[in-house]
Amino acid sequence: MQGDAPDHARATEAMIDRLSRAAGPVRPLPPPWKRVPGWLALALGFAVAMIWAIGPRPDLAERLVDARFLLEQGAALATAIAAAMAALALTVPGMGRGWRLVPVLPGTLWLGTLGLGCLRDWAAMGPEGLRLSPDPACFTFIALIGSLPVVVLYMMLRRGVPLAPRLTLALAVLASAAIGNFALRFFHMQDVALMVLVWQVGAVMLMAALAALAGRRILRWSDSGLPA
Amino acid sequence: MGNADVEDMVQDILLSLHRARASWDPTRPFLPWLVTIARNRLADNARRYARRNALDLAVRDITETFCDVPTNGGAESVVNFLAVREAMNSLSPTERRAVELVRLREMSLVEAAEESGSTVAAMKVAVHRAMLKLRTALRAKE
Repeated sequence: MQGDAPDHARATEAMIDRLSRAAGPVRPLPPPWKRVPGWLALALGFAVAMIWAIGPRPDLAERLVDARFLLEQGAALATAIAAAMAALALTVPGMGRGWRLVPVLPGTLWLGTLGLGCLRDWAAMGPEGLRLSPDPACFTFIALIGSLPVVVLYMMLRRGVPLAPRLTLALAVLASAAIGNFALRFFHMQDVALMVLVWQVGAVMLMAALAALAGRRILRWSDSGLPA
Repeated sequence: MGNADVEDMVQDILLSLHRARASWDPTRPFLPWLVTIARNRLADNARRYARRNALDLAVRDITETFCDVPTNGGAESVVNFLAVREAMNSLSPTERRAVELVRLREMSLVEAAEESGSTVAAMKVAVHRAMLKLRTALRAKE
C-alpha cells in the first residue's frame, strides 16, 4: 500500500485540475425562505384547481367563519410551510441542525387542535363523537392533491445536497400531504376531530414515514454535472 | 485502511464539493459548509467500508471462491506445500538437514555448521546440491 501512494496522490492532483477547469459558473441556490413561496403558490394553485374540479362542500361559507376550522386549517398550512422550509434547509450544508425542529411547533399545534377537538366532540356528542368509521377516500385525495407539490419539491431538493436523505424526504412528503389535507377539508364533509386525526392526519404521517424509509434510495448524490 | 483508501476518500470528498458548489452562499461562512459535506461523505464511506468488511469476513473462510484452481489462494498453497514436501523426500539426510537449518530456520552457514557438527564448506555444498535437486524435482512436476 505504501508503494503506490505517489500514484494516488498524482491522481488526486489530476482530478483537482480537471474539476477546477470544469468548474463553470453555477446559479447559486437561494435560501429556503426565498424558495418556499414559489413552491407554496404552485401547491396552493394546484389545490384550488382540484377543489374547483371536485366541487367545494356546500357548507363552506359556514366553515369559513368557524374559529375551530380556521385554526385547524391554519395549523395544517403552517405545518406544510415549515416542513417544506426545513426540507430545503436540510439540503444546504452548514445551515445548522436547528432547522429540522422548525416543523415541530406548527405540527404540535395541528395535532393539539385536533386532540382538543376530540375532547370537545366527546363533550358535545358523547360516545358518538368518538366513533371511528372507515374513510379510505381521504388517503386517495391527499395523495392526489399532494402529488404535484411533492414532485416539484423533490426537484427543488435535487438542486441541494442530500445530507440527511431520510428526514429530508419525509419532511417534503409531510409538507405536500399537509397541503393535500388542507385542500381536502374544503370539499370533504368530515369535521369530527377523531376522524380527521386518524384518517387524514394518519394518512399524512403514514406517507411521511414511507418516504423516510425510501429516502436513501430516492435522494442520493448524483453524478450529473461532473466532468468526464 | 491503506493510503489508497484514504486517497479514494479525499477524491470522493472533492467530487462532492464540486457537485455541491451551487449550495454555497458567499454571504455565509465557508468552513461549516465544507466540514458538513466532508463529514457527510466520510460517514457514507464508513458505512460502505463497514459493509464491505463484513462481507470480506463472511467469505474469508470459504476456500473455493472461484472455479479456476490458480485463483484459489488457499488451494494453491496446499498444492505447493505438498509438492515441496514430496521434493524434500528426494534429498539425502545431510542435504535435508542443511536446507532445514540454512533456508528454513535461516541460520548462517557458521551456525548451521556448528549445529550439525560439520564444516562451513560442507554446509555450502550440501545446500547447493539440495537446491539443485529440489529445483529439478519441482520443475519435473510442472
